[in-house]
Amino acid sequence: MSRCCYSSTSLLPPHHRLRLSPPLYSCSLPRKPLKALSVSASLSAPPSDKQLFVLELAEKLEDSLSLPLPPIQPLRDTSSQSLVSTPWPTRQSEPFRFTDISYLTKYPVVPAQIQTIPSSFPLNSSLPIQITLINGLLNPSLSRIPSLPAGVFVGSIKDVPQGPISEKISSAIASCSEFKEKDVFWDFNNVGAADVAVIFVPAGVKVLDPVHLMFCYSGSGKEEEMSMCNPRVLVVVEEDAEVSVVEEHFGFDGAGRYWANPVMEIFIGERGKVSHSYVQRQPLNAAHIKWTVARQEASSTYEHVEVSIGGLLSRHNLHIQQLGPETVTELSTFDLVSQSNQIQDLHSRLVLDYPKGYSRQLHKCIVCNSAGRAVFDGNIRVNRFAQNTDAGQQTRSLLLAPKALVTVKPNLQIIADDVKCAHGAAISDLDQNELFYFQARGLDLKTARNALVYYFGADVIRRIPFKPIRETAASEVKKLLSF
Amino acid sequence: MAGASISSSFTVASSPSIRPSYRVWTRSRLRNFTRATLTIDSGASGGVVSGSEKVLLEVKGLKAVVKESGKELLHGVDLTVREGEVHAIMGKNGSGKSTFSKVLVGHPDYEVTGGSVIFKGEDLLEKEPEERSHAGLFMSFQSPIEIPGVSNFEFMLMALNACREKNGLKPIEPLEFYGYLGPKLAALKMDPVFLDRNVNEGFSGGEKKRNEILQLAVLEADLAILDEVDSGLDVDALQDVSSAVNGLLKPNNAVLMITHYQRLLELIQPSFVHIMEGGKIVKTGDSSLAKQLDEGGYKAISSV
Repeated sequence: MSRCCYSSTSLLPPHHRLRLSPPLYSCSLPRKPLKALSVSASLSAPPSDKQLFVLELAEKLEDSLSLPLPPIQPLRDTSSQSLVSTPWPTRQSEPFRFTDISYLTKYPVVPAQIQTIPSSFPLNSSLPIQITLINGLLNPSLSRIPSLPAGVFVGSIKDVPQGPISEKISSAIASCSEFKEKDVFWDFNNVGAADVAVIFVPAGVKVLDPVHLMFCYSGSGKEEEMSMCNPRVLVVVEEDAEVSVVEEHFGFDGAGRYWANPVMEIFIGERGKVSHSYVQRQPLNAAHIKWTVARQEASSTYEHVEVSIGGLLSRHNLHIQQLGPETVTELSTFDLVSQSNQIQDLHSRLVLDYPKGYSRQLHKCIVCNSAGRAVFDGNIRVNRFAQNTDAGQQTRSLLLAPKALVTVKPNLQIIADDVKCAHGAAISDLDQNELFYFQARGLDLKTARNALVYYFGADVIRRIPFKPIRETAASEVKKLLSF
Repeated sequence: MAGASISSSFTVASSPSIRPSYRVWTRSRLRNFTRATLTIDSGASGGVVSGSEKVLLEVKGLKAVVKESGKELLHGVDLTVREGEVHAIMGKNGSGKSTFSKVLVGHPDYEVTGGSVIFKGEDLLEKEPEERSHAGLFMSFQSPIEIPGVSNFEFMLMALNACREKNGLKPIEPLEFYGYLGPKLAALKMDPVFLDRNVNEGFSGGEKKRNEILQLAVLEADLAILDEVDSGLDVDALQDVSSAVNGLLKPNNAVLMITHYQRLLELIQPSFVHIMEGGKIVKTGDSSLAKQLDEGGYKAISSV
């Protein structure tokens, strides 16, 4: 991969300035539209098929945007440049070694159209604050934003009031554009995002009601086409502030084939707290590639509960960057592979550079289809200055069908020398002793198996703080496990 | 049918719901439970020895091997337990005590190669483990396992409803079940908070044993097999568990205790004490046999 990675701000310690290899283009090129850049690229070396795919898709996304979106222009520029020289991931590149993403290039990809969803489709949340995004665009008529505490903003980036809030949003976006550990999908989102949902909570304010982001998708309806959209969310929580965010991704019935490519960026100020619940229940022919990037300042808390059960190809890149000491990070994730050729992939990365961080990660995964596949890569980097870190990671996978495949790669990279880190991984069928315990208490074998499988996942589902979301997730899981 | 109703009770931290249509029925059920509470609090201790009581469990010449290795662990066990009796089985390590209890409950690791077991007039060995539980057999495990993801409340509710369904009773609702559990928790001096914790997850040895006895109290078994219930318990916990077991004793049920130590037998008075050796019961007596064992060891017994 030929990219240059320079850290232009002093947020990270000096040893993070890496230079991987000479870039094809230096970063001082004047900003040109992608078409011009791609022509220059082709002059120096003929692009491969996949590289052409990247360039063509990036152009299609650029063309599909009817209006510029000035607040995120820096992101668009950085990513367009990046896309020129970033190759399409192959099985030879480490991040995609175990994940077959050929589904994304199987059909011609077209940017998603503006869709009207019939009013009979249930899009009403039982939570007080609701933002509905249809194919990545905020839909005010289907959203519900009650009166919020002073200074809190929830809405589209186009509606952010000029003044201190818009300045803080701009500086957050500038930090986003410096994100180095990204990939081609993160870049596509920047280039193709037509709108950004913003949740801004000023210092000292605790928003008690959760913000429910409902992402509804639909394809073009043509079998031979894959419609792609790029929803983007920015959450900025200042010092001593708190908010709970719930995001749900699903398709409208008879949705057709689509590729959802959402990105959420979260900034948590000192002593702030964000509780993030994420439920992915896409239809079983959808592709879902998601990025979540969280940046935690000193003494902040980030709680992430994830239930990922839909999609034919689902990949979540979860990156958490510690920007100060004594942070608390709790991650609980549950992946369910229940269909033929389904892939659930979670690549998480927690980067710790400051002392006394506390983190716990629990990953649970069930594969109950012989042709299904699950992948987990849990990376925790405890760098030189992250002394007295207390990090724990546990992954448990349940393989319930012959030839079902799960690949787990828990990896802790520890450089600091005074830390407490533990990790455990287990992959198995149901425990015979557990089954017998159920039988000895009067439950027959079949019920015992069903109960143990369901409760394996329910262990994570019950950590979602909000009952309606928990119940939706639980009932979807039960359906897929066909109880 | 069983599967359908049980799956409806797979709820994730659901709040209990009240259904008016069952109100008349629930009032009468609650009355029944109140009666049960009174029985528990009145705490009868010990059992009465009487040959004319109905036979609950009859074991004749039971032989069993370990499935994997084929090694014979039980060489012909004979035992009769009548209603209202408390039996204790003692013996050296490796004598077959735990194996005996596991074979009775139907553990898949063991295979019966000879003899018969009749429980309440029916062949026990023909039944699956869950059927034996429905028939009224309960075993408190020596080392109860942890089941992450299932709360104690959910587990006990599932087990109780499976039993009730089998016996033609309507399943009990979560709200009612909370009420039903209240006095039982109090008797065992357990904090209601523990109901929301996952089964045995993070429990100390003593807490696990208390949990087992709580399940016994909920399922109201006819024959309770307590496999080394005293191991891992401190003096106070042992006191609480013993008084709970004593409180559950009724004229028509029985207890079979497997233990190493005399101290449990001082708290739960046995009607019969059996010594097991080499996969057979070699001696039977009353509680004085246990005292002899305690004072002189197994040598003192075998010489008599």
